[in-house]
Amino acid sequence: MPLSVLHKKLLREALHLKGQLIAVALVVACGVMVFVSMSSVKESLVRSKDQYYSNYRFADVFLQVKRAPAYYRERVKAIPGVASLSTRLVYDVSLDIEGLDEPATGQFVSLPPNDGPILNDLFIRDGRRLSPTAHDEIIVSEAFAEANALEVGDEIHAILNGRKEAFRIVGIGLSPEYIYEVQSGAFFADNKRFGVFWVSQKALEAAFNMSGSFNNLVLTLTHDAVEAEVIRRLDDLFKPYGSLGAYGRSEHVSHQFISDEIKQFASMITVVPSIFLGVAIFLLNIILRRLVSTQRDIIAILKAFGYSNWQVGLHYLGFSLFPIALGGVLGTLLGAWGGAGLTDYYTIYFHFPSLDYVFRFNDAIMSVSLSALAAGFGSLSAVKQAIKLPPAEAMRPESPATFKAFWLEKLGLKHWVTVPWRIIVRNLERRWWKSTLSAIMIGFAVSIMISGRYMYDAMDHMMWVEFDLKHHEDLTLVFTEPLPKSVLYELQNLNGIRQVELVRTEPVRLRYKQRSRRMGITGLNPNSDLRPLIDSKLRLVPVPNSGLLLTTKLAEIIGAKPGDTLTVSFLHGQQRTHQVILSATIDEMFGLAAYMQKSLLDDLSGSKGAANSAILTIDYAQKDSLYAAFKDMPSVTGSIFLKAMKERFSDDITQSMIVTTTILTFFACTIAFAVVYNGARISLSERGRELASLRVLGLRKQEISVILLGEQAILTAFGIPIGFLLGTGLSAMMPAAYDSEIFRMPFILSSENFFFAFIVIVMVAIASGWIINQRLAHLDLIEVLKTRE
Amino acid sequence: MTDSNQQNSNSIVLKTHDLTKIYLMGEVEVPALKSVSLEFIEHELTVLLGTSGSGKSTLLNIIGGLDTATSGDFFYRNENLTNADENTLTEYRRKTVGFVFQFYNLIPSLTALENVELVTDIALNPLMPKDALALVGLSERQHHFPSQLSGGEQQRVAIARAIAKQPELLLCDEPTGALDFNTGKVVLEVIERINKELGATTVLITHNASISQMADRVVKLRSGEVIEKTHNTTKISPSELTW
Repeated sequence: MPLSVLHKKLLREALHLKGQLIAVALVVACGVMVFVSMSSVKESLVRSKDQYYSNYRFADVFLQVKRAPAYYRERVKAIPGVASLSTRLVYDVSLDIEGLDEPATGQFVSLPPNDGPILNDLFIRDGRRLSPTAHDEIIVSEAFAEANALEVGDEIHAILNGRKEAFRIVGIGLSPEYIYEVQSGAFFADNKRFGVFWVSQKALEAAFNMSGSFNNLVLTLTHDAVEAEVIRRLDDLFKPYGSLGAYGRSEHVSHQFISDEIKQFASMITVVPSIFLGVAIFLLNIILRRLVSTQRDIIAILKAFGYSNWQVGLHYLGFSLFPIALGGVLGTLLGAWGGAGLTDYYTIYFHFPSLDYVFRFNDAIMSVSLSALAAGFGSLSAVKQAIKLPPAEAMRPESPATFKAFWLEKLGLKHWVTVPWRIIVRNLERRWWKSTLSAIMIGFAVSIMISGRYMYDAMDHMMWVEFDLKHHEDLTLVFTEPLPKSVLYELQNLNGIRQVELVRTEPVRLRYKQRSRRMGITGLNPNSDLRPLIDSKLRLVPVPNSGLLLTTKLAEIIGAKPGDTLTVSFLHGQQRTHQVILSATIDEMFGLAAYMQKSLLDDLSGSKGAANSAILTIDYAQKDSLYAAFKDMPSVTGSIFLKAMKERFSDDITQSMIVTTTILTFFACTIAFAVVYNGARISLSERGRELASLRVLGLRKQEISVILLGEQAILTAFGIPIGFLLGTGLSAMMPAAYDSEIFRMPFILSSENFFFAFIVIVMVAIASGWIINQRLAHLDLIEVLKTRE
Repeated sequence: MTDSNQQNSNSIVLKTHDLTKIYLMGEVEVPALKSVSLEFIEHELTVLLGTSGSGKSTLLNIIGGLDTATSGDFFYRNENLTNADENTLTEYRRKTVGFVFQFYNLIPSLTALENVELVTDIALNPLMPKDALALVGLSERQHHFPSQLSGGEQQRVAIARAIAKQPELLLCDEPTGALDFNTGKVVLEVIERINKELGATTVLITHNASISQMADRVVKLRSGEVIEKTHNTTKISPSELTW
C-alpha cells in the first residue's frame, strides 16, 4: 500500500525533527531499559531461587542442638505439620588451607551414608558424591573452592575436636541452604576464609563422639502447617538437649539475604522508569505544541481541503510514535543486555546451580505500552490544539506574545539586570509553568544521580561506623565451647597480640507478649576499648547498669519499647527464665543484637566467667607465627577477619559503584541533554527571527548566544537545587526501602555526591548548549527582513 | 532632472561598482543584481524604487552587510567590504548601520525603551534612549511592550532603535509596507526628520513610486539592473505625499 500524503509529510517532518525526537527516544529507552532489566533480573533471581529450593528440597524449619538422640527423629515426625526431615551433624571447624596464611573456618555438614533423598540436598558441580565407605572424602562448596583455587583431588586439613585430620576433595558442590555463604557472626560473605564442606556422617560421628546422635535438624512443613506451632513444639521437645531454638526461613541468613535483595528491586522497577516517563511526557508535550503552532497555516490548509479534525489530530499524534518505537526497541535491547549482565554479576554473591537469565517479552511489551500511553498523554494537549483550531483562524499568524515586567522589576531591581537578561527572564516568566517543569526535569536528572549514589554514601558511612568506630579488633577467635577466663592470659602471652578482650554470648529466647525471637545476649564490660557501642548518630551508648539493651530493630521486631519487661529464657546451662526490663535501645545499622552488663549476664544465666570468643588486635609483623598458632589451637573453631572482610567488601562496593555511577551518569546525561537540547531547540525555533533581527542590528554571535542559552543556563541553575531537594527526598525514602534485619541504611548524603551531580549536569548543559550554538551560525539574516512570523 | 554628476561638496559614504549577485537555486543560476554601480552621498536620502524581483532588497542586503556580492565591489568610505568576513560585517552593522524592517522586528519581551537600550548598550556614541524615543514622538509610550503598541508606533520604536546609535547609515526596508496610509506617512515624516536632524545617510527601499518624491535621489531598479537615477532638486514633505 503506498503511503498517503499525510504519512509522507509525517515521515519527512519527523526526519527534520530527528534531533529532538531522538533525544526523547533516548529518554524512553532509559525508562524501558531500567524496567526490562530490573524486572527480568528480579524474575531470574526469583525463578532460580524457587527452582533451586524445590528441586533440592530446601527446608522450612531449622534447629541446632547440642546433642540429641537419633530416635528423636520419630518424635519430630509425629509433630503435626512436619512433612519430612533430615537430621545431621553440623560443626564449625578451623581449617588449614594451603596458600592461605590465616586459619579459615569450615562449616562441616554430615551426609548420610545411603543415597536416599535428603533435605537441603547437594548439587554436584564437579567430581562426585561421597562414597559410602570412604570417610576421608569431602565435598567443598563452590564459592570456597573458587576463592582458594581448590580442585577435585586436592587435600585440606581441618581440626576436628582438637585433632588435625586430612580430607581429600572428591566434589565441588552447592546447597540451597548456602546461596549466600556467610559465617555466623560475620557481616558479609568472605568466601576465602569461610566455606561449607560436606563429609560422611561416620567421619563426623567419630570425630565428635556423636554416634547415635545428631546436633542439627531441618524439616519441611505440610501445606496446612502452622510454622509457629511446630517451632514451639520443637523447642519444648529439644529443651533438654541444648536447643538453640528452632526458626523458620525468615530467620535463615542465606534466605534473608536473597529475599532482601529481591525485595529491593520493587522500588527500582517503579520509581526510576516513572521518572523517565515523566520526562518523556514533558518533552513530547513541548515539542508537539511547538510543531502545531508553527504549522498553523498547514493545519488550516489541510482542514480547508477537507481533512477531518481527527485525521489532523492523529497526524500530529503520529509524531510521538517515532520516539516510542525507537526508544522501545533500543530500551528492550539494552534492558535484555543489562539484565543479563546484572544477573551474571549476582553469581559473585549468590551461588546457584545455574542462575539463568530470564527475559520476559511481556516486560518489554508492558513497558513499551506504558511508554506509548505516556506519549499519548504527553501529545494530548498539542493534538487537541490542532483539532480545535478553526481553519480561518489558523490562516492568521499567532497573535504576538504579550509580556509584562517581571517580579524582580516590581521590586525595583530592574537596573541590576541588563537588557539581554531582561529578555531571558521575561521569556522564562511568561511561560512560567513550562520553565518550572523544565527546571524540575533537570532536577530529575540530578536526583537520579544523587539518590542512585546515596547507597554508596550510606554504605561508606556504615562501613566507617562499623569498622572504624565500633569494631577496633583485627580478628575474632570463636571457641568450640565456652572457655574460662584464663584463656585471656593464654592469648595475652602469645607473641604479636596487642589487645585481647573476651566476649561472652548466651543464647536465649526473648519474649514480649505474643512475639519471640532467638537471640544471643552479649555480655559487655562497661569500658570496652575494642568494641564501644556507638549508634547510627555516632553517639556512644553506655551499657545500662541493669536490664537489657536491644538494637532498635530487634525491639521493633518483638514489639517492645524501653520500660517494657521481657521474658528472657536462657537456652544453655541451667536454662533459667527471668523477667528483664528493656532499659534502652540502640540504633545499630547491621544485624540484630542484645547487650547487657557482663556481670548481670553471669548472674542471670547462672554460669560465670566463660567466654565464647575473643576479639584481638595484633601486630601484623608477627602475623605468620600468630596465624600458625591459631591454626593449631584445638579450642578455636573459627576466626573472623574483620579487616580482610572490610577490604574485600570495599573492593566489591567500589566496583559496583563504578558500574552504577556510569549507568546513572548516562541516565542523568540523557535526561539533562534531552531537556536542555529540546528547550534550546524550541527557543531557537520560537525566537530565531528575533535573534536574527538582533544580529542584523549588530549584535555579535556570542551576544545572541547569551540570549538563547541564558534561558537554559537559568533553568539549569534552578534545576540543580531542585534536583538536590528531589534527590535528598528520594534518598530519604531509601532507608525505609532497605530496612531489613541484615542492615539498615542511615540517611546520609555526602557533599561529593552533590558535587559530582552538579558537575555532570553542568557539563551536559554546556555540551547541549554548544550543539545548539552551532546552529546559531546558520541563522538566516536576510529572511527576517522579509517575513513576518 | 536626470543625474548630472553634480554631486555636491558632500563626500561619498557608500559606493558600489559593477555589483553582481547571482543566487544558485538548486542548479539554476538566478541573477538578482547585474553590474550595479551607485554612489550614496553623505546626509542624503536615497529611495531605491522597484517592484518585487527588481533587486532592491538584494542591494540593500549587500550594502547593509547582510549578504555578499558574487562579483563587483562595495565600498564603505574607502574600505572595500566586498569580501569582508562575517566578523567585519558584524562590526560594520554594529557601528555604522541602523536598520528599519518592514515588520518592525521588535523584541516582544522588551519595552519600547528597552528595545532602544538594547542597541545603545553596545554602541560607541549613542543618543540617550529616551531622547531617541522623543525624536520619534513616543516619549509617552516608552514603558509599553510591543504588543501594547499600534503598528505605526512599533515602527517608530524600530526607527528610534535604528537611529539611537547615531548611525552613519540608516537603511529602511519597506518601512511603510505593513502600515496603512496615514500611519505610513507619519513614519515617513519621522524618517525625513531624522535624516535632516541627525544627518544620517538614509537609503529607503519601496515599491511605492510616490514615496520617491521625498528623496534627494531616486534609483529605479528592474530585474536587477539600474534603469534610472534621478536627483530631486525639490523634495516634497511626506505629509504632502499621496498614494
